[in-house]
Amino acid sequence: MSRPVPEPDERSAGYWEAAASHVLTVAECSRCNGRTMPPDAVCPRCRSVDPQFRFVPVSGEGTVRSWTVIRQSFLPGFDVPFVLVDVALDDAADVRLIGRLVDGADAPLRQGDRVAVTFEDVADGVAVPAFTLAAQR
Amino acid sequence: MSASFPARDRVAIVGYGQSQVARHAPMPLGALAVATALDAIADAGLRVEQIDGVVASSLFPTAGDHAVEDGVSTVSANWLAEHLGLDPAYAAGFQGLGQIPGIVAMGVNAVMSGAAEHLLLLRALHNPKGRYHASAMTTARGAQQWTAPQGYFGPVAMIGLTYNEYVQRYGASREAMAAVVVEARKNGARIPWSYWRDQPLTVEDYLAAPLLADPICRFDCDIPVDGVAVFVLTTAERARDLPHRPVLVSGYASSQPTRRRLPMHWPLDDVMEAGTTLAGRLWQRSGVSPRQIELPQVYDGFSPFVYLWLESLGLCPVGEAHRLVLGGGIDSDAAGALPVLSGGGALGNGRMHGIPQLLECYLQLSERAGDRQRAGVHVGLAAHSSPHLGGAVVLRAGG
Repeated sequence: MSRPVPEPDERSAGYWEAAASHVLTVAECSRCNGRTMPPDAVCPRCRSVDPQFRFVPVSGEGTVRSWTVIRQSFLPGFDVPFVLVDVALDDAADVRLIGRLVDGADAPLRQGDRVAVTFEDVADGVAVPAFTLAAQR
Repeated sequence: MSASFPARDRVAIVGYGQSQVARHAPMPLGALAVATALDAIADAGLRVEQIDGVVASSLFPTAGDHAVEDGVSTVSANWLAEHLGLDPAYAAGFQGLGQIPGIVAMGVNAVMSGAAEHLLLLRALHNPKGRYHASAMTTARGAQQWTAPQGYFGPVAMIGLTYNEYVQRYGASREAMAAVVVEARKNGARIPWSYWRDQPLTVEDYLAAPLLADPICRFDCDIPVDGVAVFVLTTAERARDLPHRPVLVSGYASSQPTRRRLPMHWPLDDVMEAGTTLAGRLWQRSGVSPRQIELPQVYDGFSPFVYLWLESLGLCPVGEAHRLVLGGGIDSDAAGALPVLSGGGALGNGRMHGIPQLLECYLQLSERAGDRQRAGVHVGLAAHSSPHLGGAVVLRAGG
């Protein structure tokens, strides 16, 4: 069985287009420039009801805040065990993303470890962001 | 000090019904709900014709691909009213999270306002066929596109991240969490209607259990069940003429997450920030302080919630809950301990989603707990769900 693929919609199309080219973006409100993930109908910072979120590229570098090792998957297409990391992005204060750690379940992890984004090609023209351990400070 | 909450101690729980809790009930969930409601009404010393209000939460709390069907996998207020043969003056459903404080609040509000005189609170839980939280999705649309393609899905992964954030920050051990789960199962084993009756758990069995989403193991998760509970509410004045000692609702509060996050992402600081705000609101509304709660009952649908509630409610310092439990601090059989899982919780009864906490408060405060009766409990607290999007109810023994 294969992994679930995202179904882009009007609001998320830009994100998945960038991801297909292996570029990580985050949503930025056109009114207040606040960065939020995921984007919403109303900007959570300035409360604009017409936020016109745009997806802006970010470095994809960040810091591990938490992780878990999935040993029983509730979704098809994932080989267990695999690691999910909860990452605070350098380029977007308050934005936290969750993705697979491609280094695998045996990679030693600590809170504060540095990671960088990487991409997993899951289908034709579809790539999903993940993370890999980066050079530690 | 703000003005007193007008509904404080004005509405009482005057009777209850609790079905057997089983993996699969011998009848459809709706029939079980009717049977349980009839028990509750008789228990309260009332006749069916006197019931003029029903409040329920009919959320089916699963991430899996299961049909939501009224009377089968859930039971709504209107379904129950219809099948009891009622034409209620007030029937309503609570749509939010923290279903227990949600339905208590709506029920209290209805009775206080005079919208209903004798009202039923209903919560029915169902265990469907197949894996409870599993999904066969091939495409992730809507909110799930931000997490499922990445492999993040379901409440076990969700709580795994929050719990591990706690573990890494405070150095909590699996042995500490074993104390929580063993305590819940100890008390659940003493309860006749519990799924786990006569089946306590040992620390050894807990530590040997395989991990599902590190550090979460099988025993950190409540087991899905079929079960129904019904409580009868009326005014404190009317309660005086009914058979049992009334248990008054002193206050209720629910919380709301403060930050936009990926779906089902619960960072530890988010939980604690909103949980602390919730606690403050609860003390103000109920007019009590944490020290006065003789019978706190914290939510334990996943075991880490116990730490999060202990700390949000100020029952122990932030970061210290794991040390408290490891030292026997929640052993309900020990004098001076915080008996926060004396009712067995979800881990000890089965996935009854906040009901065991409310039921334990009711039974103890009304002095109806039989050979499990605790001495000197007059004020209780029943918490449900996560501190940052659930809530809690404070209850007081009536005259």
